[in-house]
Amino acid sequence: MAKIEKETIAQSLKNAGYSRRDFLQLCTTIVATAPMGLALTEKANPAAVAKAVAKAKKPSVVWLHFQDCTGCSETLLRTSKPDVADLILNIISLDYHETLMVACGQQAEDALNSAVSENAGKFVLVVEGSIPTKEQGIYMKLGGRPAIDVLKDIGSKAAAIIAMGSCASWGGVPSADPNPTGAVGVDSIIKDKPIVNIPGCPPNPYTLLGVVLEYAVMGKLPKLDDLKRPKFAYDRLIHDHCPRRAHFDAGRFAGQFGDAGHNQGYCLFKLGCKGPVTHAGCSTRHFNEMVDAWPIGIGAPCFGCTEKSVGFRMAAFDRVDVHLATPPDTYAPISGSVGTFGAAAAGLVGIAAGALGGAAWATSQKLKSSEEAIADEARKTTAGGK
Amino acid sequence: MTMTRREAFKNLAKGSLPLLAAGCVSTVLPEVAHAEEVPMPKGALGLLYDATKCVGCKSCMVACNQANDLAPDTRTDGLHQAPDAVNSFTKNIIKLYRTADGSDHSYFKQQCMHCADPACMAACMFGGLRKDKETGIVWWKGSMCVGCRYCEIACPFHIPAFTWDGFNPKITKCELCRERLAKGLQPGCTTVCPTQAVIYGRREDLLKEAKRRISASPGRYFENKVYGEVDGGGTQVLYLSRVAFDKLGLPALGEESIPERLKFQHTAYKWLALPIALYAGMVAFAGKNFKEHAHHLVEDQKKTGLRPQL
Amino acid sequence: MTRWERSVPVYGVPVLNRGFWGLLIVVVVGFLLAGFREVVGLGSGVSGMSDPFAWGLWKNFNVMVLTGLGSGGFAVGIAAWIFNRTKLHQVMRVALLTSFLAYSTGLIMLGIDVGRPWNFYWVIMPWHWNLASPLLEVAVCISFYATVPLLLENLPPLFEYLIYESPKWRGFAESCEKALTKVYPFVVGLAYILPIMHQSSLGALMLLGGDRVNALWQTPFLPLIYVWAAAFLGYNCVVLCLLLAKVTWKRDIDPEVLAELNKLTCWVVFAWTAFRFLDILVRGKIMLALIPSYYSGLFWTEIILITGSAYVLYSEKGKNLQTMFLAHALCALGGMIYRFSPTTLAFRPRNGAFYFPTAIELTVSIGFMALAVLGYLVAVKKLAILPGSNADWLKMAKYEEQVKPGIQLTGYAPAKH
Repeated sequence: MAKIEKETIAQSLKNAGYSRRDFLQLCTTIVATAPMGLALTEKANPAAVAKAVAKAKKPSVVWLHFQDCTGCSETLLRTSKPDVADLILNIISLDYHETLMVACGQQAEDALNSAVSENAGKFVLVVEGSIPTKEQGIYMKLGGRPAIDVLKDIGSKAAAIIAMGSCASWGGVPSADPNPTGAVGVDSIIKDKPIVNIPGCPPNPYTLLGVVLEYAVMGKLPKLDDLKRPKFAYDRLIHDHCPRRAHFDAGRFAGQFGDAGHNQGYCLFKLGCKGPVTHAGCSTRHFNEMVDAWPIGIGAPCFGCTEKSVGFRMAAFDRVDVHLATPPDTYAPISGSVGTFGAAAAGLVGIAAGALGGAAWATSQKLKSSEEAIADEARKTTAGGK
Repeated sequence: MTMTRREAFKNLAKGSLPLLAAGCVSTVLPEVAHAEEVPMPKGALGLLYDATKCVGCKSCMVACNQANDLAPDTRTDGLHQAPDAVNSFTKNIIKLYRTADGSDHSYFKQQCMHCADPACMAACMFGGLRKDKETGIVWWKGSMCVGCRYCEIACPFHIPAFTWDGFNPKITKCELCRERLAKGLQPGCTTVCPTQAVIYGRREDLLKEAKRRISASPGRYFENKVYGEVDGGGTQVLYLSRVAFDKLGLPALGEESIPERLKFQHTAYKWLALPIALYAGMVAFAGKNFKEHAHHLVEDQKKTGLRPQL
Repeated sequence: MTRWERSVPVYGVPVLNRGFWGLLIVVVVGFLLAGFREVVGLGSGVSGMSDPFAWGLWKNFNVMVLTGLGSGGFAVGIAAWIFNRTKLHQVMRVALLTSFLAYSTGLIMLGIDVGRPWNFYWVIMPWHWNLASPLLEVAVCISFYATVPLLLENLPPLFEYLIYESPKWRGFAESCEKALTKVYPFVVGLAYILPIMHQSSLGALMLLGGDRVNALWQTPFLPLIYVWAAAFLGYNCVVLCLLLAKVTWKRDIDPEVLAELNKLTCWVVFAWTAFRFLDILVRGKIMLALIPSYYSGLFWTEIILITGSAYVLYSEKGKNLQTMFLAHALCALGGMIYRFSPTTLAFRPRNGAFYFPTAIELTVSIGFMALAVLGYLVAVKKLAILPGSNADWLKMAKYEEQVKPGIQLTGYAPAKH
C-alpha cells in the first residue's frame, strides 16, 4: 500500500483546487458552529481561524462502525461547506471508513491495519455504533473478531477516541429495553484513553468537525463536561435555547398534533417534548444546513436523543419535569388577593353563634321566670302577712 | 351598708386616681419632640433599584433562588416560577404596577429593605432577627425564633414570610446574600441584572449615586426623591421611580422609625420603676386589708364553727 | 335572695353527666385536630392565616380576647383587696377560677399557634430577652402570672378539698395553706400588677401595626384602653357565671354583691367610653366614626353594645335579673369585639388580603374553650368555688355526710384561750 504523505491542510486543499474563498467560508462555518467554548474559535475571526487551520497537518482519522445505522456518517454527508469529499480528503485524512471507502474484503482489512500501524499513537479514532457485550460480544463482528476486541485493539493505538452519536456515547437505540445484546458506549469499554462523546441521533456534523479541527490545530481536545461531551455544543438545554420558549413562558401549548395550537407553532411541552432535560445544540444549529430543519422546528417534540436517561428510555408522550422553573411572561400585581371564605367554616360560625345566642336567650327566660316566681312569693308573703 | 353619693365619688376618685396616674405616666409624660436620628452602620451595605431602568425580565428572581439554594415557587401550574408575593420560596419578586387602562406602568422589585431601625427586630422576642453591626444586614437566626410571626405584623413593607406548610417553619427573607458577600461575590440579583437596574454597594455610595441620577435627569424621578433615604428611619435598600412610590406598594412612612411607636412603653417600663412602685403600693394596701379580713374570718369561725376560707 | 358568706360546692349534681361527655368529645376532637396541625403546618386548609394575616383566631381570640374575659381575677381582686370592697371577697374564687381557666387554655393555644415552640425555652433566660419587644413582655408576664400568682391564688379551694376529704394529705395541705396565708399580700400584689402589665402590652402589640389598624382603634393609648376593657370584661364574666349558676344549679343570689359588681362595671365602662371618645377627638379622627363605613359600623356596634348595656345596667331596670344578664352578656360581647378589632376586624394589612378562619381552626378554638368550660364545671362541683350562705354550707354538709360517711365539714370552732 503506497504511503500517503502527510501534507498540511492548506497544501492539501490547494492541491484539490479549493479556493481561498471557499476555505474562508469553511472557517466561518466552523466559527458559527462553535462561537464559544472552543479554543480554536476563541480567536473568533474567520481569517485568523483560517491561518491557524492552514498551518495544521491533516489529522489521520480511522472510523469504525459497530452496532450502528450509519446515520452519523450520513449526517457528515449533509455538509456542503466543505463538501464531504473535501472534508474527508483534504481537511482530514479519512484513512478508514467502511461506508465511504471503495475497498472491501481483504483490501479493507489491509487498509485498516496500515492506517493504524503507520499512524500509531497519532490517529484519531471515530467510533460509530454501540458495542455489544453479551455472550462475549458475538452480536457484532468485524473480520471475524467481536467488536469489543476490535475496539480494545485499535483504541489502544489511537491518540484519542471520538464516540460519534448516541450509540457510541452510551448505547443508543440498541441499548433500549430489554437491551438483548448488552449494547454499551465506548467509555464503558475503554478507560485509559481520552474520549469525547458526541451524542445525538444523529448529532450535528459541525460538532465533530469542531472537535477534530481543534485537535488538529491546537493539539488538544476541547473542554468536556462530566459526561465527556464537548461543552461548546452540550452545555445548554434545548429548553433554554428553544425558539418556542416564549410560548412556553406564556402558557401557549399544542395539545394534540394538528390542533390550532400545533398549527400556530406553540410549545410542544404537553406533547411530551424532552427539551427541558436534553442537552444539545439542535435548537440553534439545525440540520442539513436548512433553517428549522430540526424536530421542534418541524413540529415534532424533541425526544431527548442525546441523553442516556431520556432517549429511547422515556415514552414519547411522557412529560418531563422542568428542573429550573423560571417565571412566565405574566407578572404579579402590586397587591395580589389572599384568603378564602370556606363554607364549612361559615357554617360552623353560624352554628356556634346560634348555639350561644340560643343558650343566652334560654338563660334569660329562666331568669325572667325565676324573677316572676320570686315576685309572686313576695306578694304571697305580704298578702299572707297582712 | 349603703353608700352616700359623696362616698361613692370619693371611692371612685380613690380608685381611679392611681390607675389614671399610672396611665398618664406610662403614656403621656415622655415628650419626644421629633424622631431621634437612627444611626446607620458605618459599613452599611445595600441595593439601589432604579425602576426606570428595569425591563421586567425577572432574571433576578431566578438568580435569587439559585444563589440561596431555594426551590422556585411553582405552585401555580407546576411549570413556572410564578409567586404573587414574597413568600417562603421567594425572597425577591418583580411586580408590575399597571393602570387599569394600561396607559402607565412600572416594574417593582420587592425584597427586604434592611431598615436602619428594623420593626421586625424590635418585635422579635428573643432576637431571632438580628442586624449585623458592620454591614447592617438584617438576618434570621432560626435557633432563637419561636415562629410567633410578630415580625410579619410589624414590618411595614410586608416582607418576612413564614413557611405555612410542614412542621419546621422558617422565616424567609432577603439577607443580601450574606454568604456570597463573604466570598467576595455580589448578591445574586445584582449579578444578573442586564440593565443594572439594581446595583449593590455601600449605602452611602448608593445614596450619592441616586442623588447624582436625580440631578442629572431632572423630572425623570418622582418628586426627585430617593425612597429609603429617611423613610421609616432610613433603609439600606433605596428606590428611584418615575411613578409614585405608594403606587408601587411602598408605604408613605414619615421619618420616624416603626419601633419609635413603642417609645411610651419603653419609658413606662424603664428599670421596671413604675411597676415596682405600683407593686409596692398594692402590697401595702392588700396587706392592710388582708389583716382586717383575717380578723373577720376568725370572728366568723368563732360564731359558726365553720372552717375559714382563704 | 340570700347573703353570701362563704363558697359552697355544687352538690348533688354528678360530674360525669351528659354535659361533661358532650364537652369532652368536643375537647378531644379539638386536640386531635391540633395534633394534625402540628404535623401538617399552619397552611393548606388547616388555618386561614397567611403572610398578610399572620395572626388568626387562635392568637387574636383565644389568647387576646379570652384572657380579657378571664380578667376577673385582677379586676375583682383589685376592687376587693386594694379598694377594700369587702363584699366582693365572696366572688373572688369564681373570678380566680375563670381567670385561671382562660389563661391556661390560652397559653396552651398559644403553644399550638406558634410555629417553632421548641425554642420557647429562651423565655427563662433574661440575657436573651429583647427588651424592646412588647411581645416579650406578654410572653414572660403571662407565663409567670399563670404559673405563679394565679396558680397560688387558686390553690386554697384545693387545699380545703384535701383537708376535708383526704386524711393522707390533710397535714400537707394545712401547712401549705398556712404558708400561703403568710405571703398572701405579696402574691396578690403580683397577681394584680402582672395582668395590668401584660393586658396593656397586649394592646401595645398592635402599635407596631401602624395604619394596618384602622384609625378609630389605632392610638398611642391603645395599651391603656385595652387593659381598661379587660377590667370590665372581667366583671361581665363573673356576673354571667353567677347568674348562670342560679339558672343551672338553683344557687341563691346575693343582690348586694351583684349590685356592687354592676356599679363597678358601669363606672369602668363609662370612664372607658369617655376616654375612648376623647382619644378619637383629640387625634382628629371623629369624622371616621360619623361617615358610614364598615369601620364606623363596627365602632358604633362596640359602643352601643358596651356603653348601651352599661347604661341599662345603671338604670332601675338593671336590678332585674334578666335585664342584668342580657346587659352583661351584650357588654361582654361588645368588649370582646373591641379586643378583637385591632388585630382582626379592623386590621387591614394591604389591599386584596382577607382572613376568615377555616373549619379546623374554629374547631380547635372551640375545643379549647370547651376545655375551659369543662374545667369550670368539674371545679365548681368538686371544690368550694361558687358563693353561698352559711346555711347553704350546712345543707351541703348534711348531704355530703350521708354520701361520704366520716367526712367532717362543720365544728371547726377555734380553740378557746
